[in-house]
Amino acid sequence: MTESSLSLEILQEVTRIANSTLDLDETLEKIIQVIKNKMHIDACAIYLINESDGLLHLKASMGLPEKAMHINLAIGQGVTGWVAQKGTSLALSEAMQDPRFIYFPEIEEEKFSSMLSVPILADCPPLGVINVHSIERRVFSLEETSVLETIASQVTGCLKNAIQFHQNQMTLKETRILYDISLAVQSTLKLEHGLWIILSAITMGEAGGFNRAMLFTLDEKNRQLQGIMGLGPDSHEDAVRIWTELDKKKGDLLKWAIKEAQHDLHRDSPFHNFVSGLKYTVTPNDNILSETVLQKKPFNITKAKEHPLVSQEFIDALGVDSFATVPLIAHEEVLGVILVDNRYDQKPITEENLRFLTRFTVYASWVIENSRLFSKLLDTNRELLSMKEQLVQAERLSALGEMAAEVAHEIKNPLVSIGGFARRLKDKMTNLAQKWEDNDDLKSAANYSGIISSEVERLERLLKNTLIYSKSGTLETEECQLNKLIEEVLYLFKAGLYEKNINLVTGLEADIPLLNLDQQKIKQVLINLFYNALESLSIGGLLRVETFQEEYAQKQKMVTVRVEDTGGGIPQEVFENIFNPFFTTKHTGTGLGLSICRKIIENHGGTIRVENQLGKGVTVYLHLPLQNSPDYYKN
Amino acid sequence: MKTILVVDDEQNIRFLYKEELEEDGYKVSLAATGAEALKMLNKQIPDLIILDIKMPGMDGIEVMRKIKDEKGDIPIILCSAYGQYKQDFRVWASDAYVVKSADLRELKLTIKEIFNQLKAG
Repeated sequence: MTESSLSLEILQEVTRIANSTLDLDETLEKIIQVIKNKMHIDACAIYLINESDGLLHLKASMGLPEKAMHINLAIGQGVTGWVAQKGTSLALSEAMQDPRFIYFPEIEEEKFSSMLSVPILADCPPLGVINVHSIERRVFSLEETSVLETIASQVTGCLKNAIQFHQNQMTLKETRILYDISLAVQSTLKLEHGLWIILSAITMGEAGGFNRAMLFTLDEKNRQLQGIMGLGPDSHEDAVRIWTELDKKKGDLLKWAIKEAQHDLHRDSPFHNFVSGLKYTVTPNDNILSETVLQKKPFNITKAKEHPLVSQEFIDALGVDSFATVPLIAHEEVLGVILVDNRYDQKPITEENLRFLTRFTVYASWVIENSRLFSKLLDTNRELLSMKEQLVQAERLSALGEMAAEVAHEIKNPLVSIGGFARRLKDKMTNLAQKWEDNDDLKSAANYSGIISSEVERLERLLKNTLIYSKSGTLETEECQLNKLIEEVLYLFKAGLYEKNINLVTGLEADIPLLNLDQQKIKQVLINLFYNALESLSIGGLLRVETFQEEYAQKQKMVTVRVEDTGGGIPQEVFENIFNPFFTTKHTGTGLGLSICRKIIENHGGTIRVENQLGKGVTVYLHLPLQNSPDYYKN
Repeated sequence: MKTILVVDDEQNIRFLYKEELEEDGYKVSLAATGAEALKMLNKQIPDLIILDIKMPGMDGIEVMRKIKDEKGDIPIILCSAYGQYKQDFRVWASDAYVVKSADLRELKLTIKEIFNQLKAG
């Protein structure tokens, strides 16, 4: 057979391979079959250069023992490495005698006498190397070398395709893992569970395969990194045990991790407890964790001992010389840091590993951010509910006092008349009695009037003492910024406004002077007003909140809070009773709470006014005084 | 002779004030509602106004604001059955605030003080 007809035949076979499969392993197997058929050799091995570590990995073989599959060679190492480096073929009849030869017991190379090694040339560097071995001593002819080179050059295309396909598959797998993780993470709102799933994925081979992962969160206020979770084996024995277990669960690791998250088992691990005890202050040029936060970028530390930002103490605590740190970032804000290492298998952390981890930490950031937002939401809801509850409670309590005050007021006016005229009667009678020369009857009548007037006085005192207008609790006032208070309360309604599609417009006048307010109570009032507005805006609309300074009756300076909604207003019969605690409390059980709002505002020396435009909306005005009471009111 | 306008929805109290104040030498006119009082002010401005706060319709505080805004700084004494309005800053715009009582001495003293201040000022 001529060389050209042989190469044509090879080309046909290779085309057949390329058309039959895209699977890399299968492609390699088939190529080996072709080689075996064409060259009649005892063993064949195909090494491919791994992109991430740059080493030659034995990817497929025939006639070699199973354990040989773990062999990785550096470029330039051994005969195979030499061929890859030089890009030229090498035929050796006495392979073991060659100075370039390195003995690998795994290959059991002593069995073979001769070998031929050719590079799979694509561009530079080569894709890999094909080796063939013969047990009998054999001198590979130039022709045979040329055949193998032809095969090598012909398979380049389909190998490239298969490798590309393999890489795509890996990316796909990675995407799938990320997708699964994101689903899993969404399934739990408990921060701890979410983080556990994330750290599991990082340490479980499938998504990173780091030995250990540690998570630190950043306390923005104190500029401190606090270790909150550590996941990984506690010792070599533990590592082996865990890996064996994980091996059995292959394929369903993620499901397992998600289920496992519920058990909180990690809390018992010494490694977790070790991490939980770690705390670092974020200062520039101090430690590697701080630097990760400050520079917002990952660090791959390979020689920790020589690194200026890694202390010996830190190295001792971790027990490793190489590790990597990645910042957790959400909304451009650093939330924390993840630190990974390979303490137990000592595998170097490649750039590829780190890239994947960086992509992965986005999920961890989401988990933290979501959980933060969620717990904030819970807190605000709780705060709102408890404030509303307090308000209702206070309203019910004050309802009784209100009624008493109302009755007392009704009594007071007639009392003033009775007492006033009794006094006049007494004076007139006394005068008359004198005129009529101490008329006894007139004197008695004057006396009786005096009794009426003094009894009325007694009643007046009684009313005054028992009903000095029942104040609803004493105020604890301090100077504060009203606008800030309003913004704080509005923040509580953020979610509610968003949910109901309510457009919030604020116009808070700058330079409003500090006011003496009981912040807690004013907050209650504002919450109540916003609540009412939100309730009326069930189908969305506008909520306008404004503050401004005004003068009252040309004499008094005041600050006004204006809360306007477009919720359609209140029916007239309800509006007439909005300040009536009985009406409101029995109406819906919670009521509008306006009577208590009024009391609170009045206790501040202010006043509350409600404008109702049926079909349009309600506007509430809170007027608060800017000046203290005049002297004649001090007593 | 000083003129005083008494605004109160309680007829007997208006009557009581009139009797007592006229006895003290003031010229007293009466109004039962804020609206009536404002109408009267269009014709004649008194030297002093005694205003009850709690009245149906326009309350005394509102009447006061209208008077101060529209008629200028006429001295006003606000009255109420209880001291509950003491802390309402709007009341502070008045010249005095007196809690109603069968004993009118405090009210009379306050009237005198206001007139004395006006004389001094």
